[in-house]
Amino acid sequence: MKEEFDEIEKDLWSKLGALKTPEPKEEAKMRFNAMLYNFKQEDEAKKAGFLRVLWEKIEPLVTLKSSHSWAFVVILVVLSGTMGYFFGKPGKEMAGNQAEIKRLSGEMQDMKQMMMLSMLENPMATERLKAVSYTEELNTVDDQVIDALLTTLNFDQNENVRLVTLEALVKLADNPKVREGLVQSLLTQESPLMQVALADAMVKLQEKRAVKQFKKMLRKHDLNDAVKGKIEKTIIILS
Amino acid sequence: MDALSDNSLMLKVKAGNLDLMGLLFERYHKPLFGFLYHTTGQVAHSEDLVQTVFYRMLKYRHTFSGEGEFRTWMYHLARNVVIDAHRKNSKTSYQSDMASVMENMGVSPDAEAKIEREQQKEMLQRALQLLSIEHREVLVLSRFQELSYKEIAEILKTSEGNIKIKVHRAMKELKEIFLKISE
Repeated sequence: MKEEFDEIEKDLWSKLGALKTPEPKEEAKMRFNAMLYNFKQEDEAKKAGFLRVLWEKIEPLVTLKSSHSWAFVVILVVLSGTMGYFFGKPGKEMAGNQAEIKRLSGEMQDMKQMMMLSMLENPMATERLKAVSYTEELNTVDDQVIDALLTTLNFDQNENVRLVTLEALVKLADNPKVREGLVQSLLTQESPLMQVALADAMVKLQEKRAVKQFKKMLRKHDLNDAVKGKIEKTIIILS
Repeated sequence: MDALSDNSLMLKVKAGNLDLMGLLFERYHKPLFGFLYHTTGQVAHSEDLVQTVFYRMLKYRHTFSGEGEFRTWMYHLARNVVIDAHRKNSKTSYQSDMASVMENMGVSPDAEAKIEREQQKEMLQRALQLLSIEHREVLVLSRFQELSYKEIAEILKTSEGNIKIKVHRAMKELKEIFLKISE
């Protein structure tokens, strides 16, 4: 075949072979695992749901007396017809398509959440930073995500990750659990930078419950002088 | 059939052992990414499409008969994914990843020649993206994925002879576009 190419084509063919293909990102595997996990959950739920519904329909029928067996046959025919209608022509109905889109969108959300939670446990700080930023892409944030973010805020070894997590949590402060977690975090933080950032956050959120925690902080002997000044000012603002 | 062959694994996936798709992902996500990258010209988009292809393989696992090769079936699905994505976003166009080009252009005594080589590669990549999709896909499958004409014919559901003609025409079109860009 290649002998049918002219010189320029042969040259281009050879150069095509030298074009580089970039490497896909490392997180591809993680994304795949999250997708697979989600798919399996969905698949199992679907099977369990289908079998349960089917059994509920069939159970009363299989206990029918033989004199009523005609009813059994008729209902089975209707049931198979209905199943054929719904499962045999995928994508035919507009409503079905919309339901599918809604389901896929829900799947995407679950997948993002799962990815975010698994990335928070990544040993690399850059990955954990990315994970925190993913919270903005979640339409709804459940308790599991909030718990994971609060744990990161209090215990992540990297200060940048803790700071970014604080920013993310401030955006979610409509949730009472988040507000409570932020207040409680005041006594956990030991880094002056985090203590100051949390003080600013409390002012921004006008969280008066923090005053009690700030007063406890002032009793700490090892409190940084600059932080001490900041806290005193914050107490005045919030009181 | 070898228990760890692609077909055997995919048949087990079809039978319900979905975890085995992980092994197929390990084997094929890079070549698949290569196919998608050279077909779409976009790195991030191709990474998303890789996930979509594997999702579809799981969803439509019942359509794998085991008669043909697994990778033929995979590329057939991948091709449909590309076509669907192309339809959804017809504005999507090739955007060259200049960073990777620049990365390879360190200052050296033969920097000029190196820059020229890189520019040629860049032009060729652009020319490839300007090809009609039906010509681009045969070139990518043949040149980058190194599939035989017989395999490509199976993926595209056509004859081997037809693929030969398509590759020949694709090279002619590529030459014309490349020369035009080089002017």
